[in-house]
Amino acid sequence: MSSSKRHGPLRRWIALASILLMLAAPAVRAEIVLVTAMDSAIEALSRDEAEQLYLGRRATLSARGALILLDLPSGPVRDQFYRLLTGKNPSQIRAYWSRMVFTGRALPPTESANVSDAHRILLENPNAIAYLPATYAEDPSLRVLLRLE
Amino acid sequence: MKYRLATLAAIIAAHAAPVSAATDAITFSGFGTLGAVLTHSDDLQFRRVGVEAPGTQSVDFAPDTVLGVQTNFRLGDSAEAVLQVLSRETPKNTYTPRASLAFLSYSLSPESTLRAGRLRLPTFMLSDSMLISYAHPWVRPPVEVYGLSPFSDLDGIDFFYRRRIKDVDVELHPYLGRSQLDIVQTGHSSLSHLRGLNIGLSSGALTLHAGYARARLDMRWGDPFTSRLLDALQSAPGGEHIIAKMQGSDAATSFTSAGFQWDGERWLLIGEYAARRAAAFANSAYGWHLTVGRHIGPFTPYLKLARTIQTSPIISDQLSAGQPALQRFNASRNGAQRSFGAGLRWDLRHDAAFKMEFARTHTDNDSWGAFFPVHHLTRVSDRTINTLSVSIDVVF
Repeated sequence: MSSSKRHGPLRRWIALASILLMLAAPAVRAEIVLVTAMDSAIEALSRDEAEQLYLGRRATLSARGALILLDLPSGPVRDQFYRLLTGKNPSQIRAYWSRMVFTGRALPPTESANVSDAHRILLENPNAIAYLPATYAEDPSLRVLLRLE
Repeated sequence: MKYRLATLAAIIAAHAAPVSAATDAITFSGFGTLGAVLTHSDDLQFRRVGVEAPGTQSVDFAPDTVLGVQTNFRLGDSAEAVLQVLSRETPKNTYTPRASLAFLSYSLSPESTLRAGRLRLPTFMLSDSMLISYAHPWVRPPVEVYGLSPFSDLDGIDFFYRRRIKDVDVELHPYLGRSQLDIVQTGHSSLSHLRGLNIGLSSGALTLHAGYARARLDMRWGDPFTSRLLDALQSAPGGEHIIAKMQGSDAATSFTSAGFQWDGERWLLIGEYAARRAAAFANSAYGWHLTVGRHIGPFTPYLKLARTIQTSPIISDQLSAGQPALQRFNASRNGAQRSFGAGLRWDLRHDAAFKMEFARTHTDNDSWGAFFPVHHLTRVSDRTINTLSVSIDVVF
């Protein structure tokens, strides 16, 4: 009886915490991280640089040579990424990139087959940057450069 | 010497080394539009640019149909070669493919790129992407503005400088070169000593554009009507003064434009003003367009208003007074008109869009606007003409 009294507040806390976690879960899933390999020379990436890179307004980061910018195939993660970073919806991004490509201004990021393919390319190329679901933030082989939420 | 060459080769190889299988050295892409224009008038034809071969069918596929294929060759870390071959109806009434882009580009720094070769001439806000219909909400960018500059190639060099200041991306785009253009039948025109500067500002959904260019215009007409007129003028007293206004070399020409685009989550707003001034061979005129659209899922319905106004004709009113042939020449080279349009873009899939647009156009009383008579004696000026355009655009 006394034990149940002692555990009462704890249970309430656990219940409250699980509700909060459940509420927070969709937000966690919607969060996206920009990552590079842990052994990459790229140590920082500002939001401005990320936006410029993924809009083809710059091709490289300063004086670090060529960069491999990775894209995911069409789908919710990609749509969410561009919405968070550039504020553009999928149709707007495609229209925007068609103008960039066919006026010869820039080439779009390299499309990987899926999330695990992007992960593989990152590990093989220290000069690659990709965006991945936030669950990859815990991956010890990756370095988080920027969080988008 | 050999040693030096070997060192150079090693340096180049070392530079090229980081390029892995993840980024292809060669990239293929393309775009296409299948478009049809129905002019609701048996005796008139729509023409997109004043120099194209007019069609003869009431449903015309020529103005908007286009296919372009592009190859990008990566040459090391900071250089690239681009070749784009394009097929659409030419003023000579063929679909012979031609190079619309063929240039080498070099990134001097992350912010700046130098390009040389055949480029797109960025006269007005959307000139360099005029044929990439997928990039735009309309079936075609409004002829009231884009008809003012039929030139599309830039053979020369251009330079991009981009820089982010606070949250605004600033783009400076100076260019230099020349441009050539075939005109119906045996006509030919060119811009030489062409130099221009575009300034672009982008922040979030808003893009602003300002541009200015000047050049020397050469013109040689080749259609039978104008050839007969020129022959007749040659033997007429004082005719050479009129001929000197119609065709020749080195007429000072300038193009000015300013525009904006707001492409937000819900609303789409696009507006632009553009002017062409020519000392001879082409009229001086200005135009504007304004579009309001609304994004509703994959649909973007829009309304469009546009206007072209002539400021001075090719042959002055004094000289052409009482001369129907001269007035006809002036009117046929005058795009002055007003139009109201309602259209829809429907993003069918991630790589295709369907569009349709209804437009009601009124040509000015001394102008053929964007139309051409099927029969020689048909009146084109001061008429109200309905057109319906549909297109499917793809990118691959």
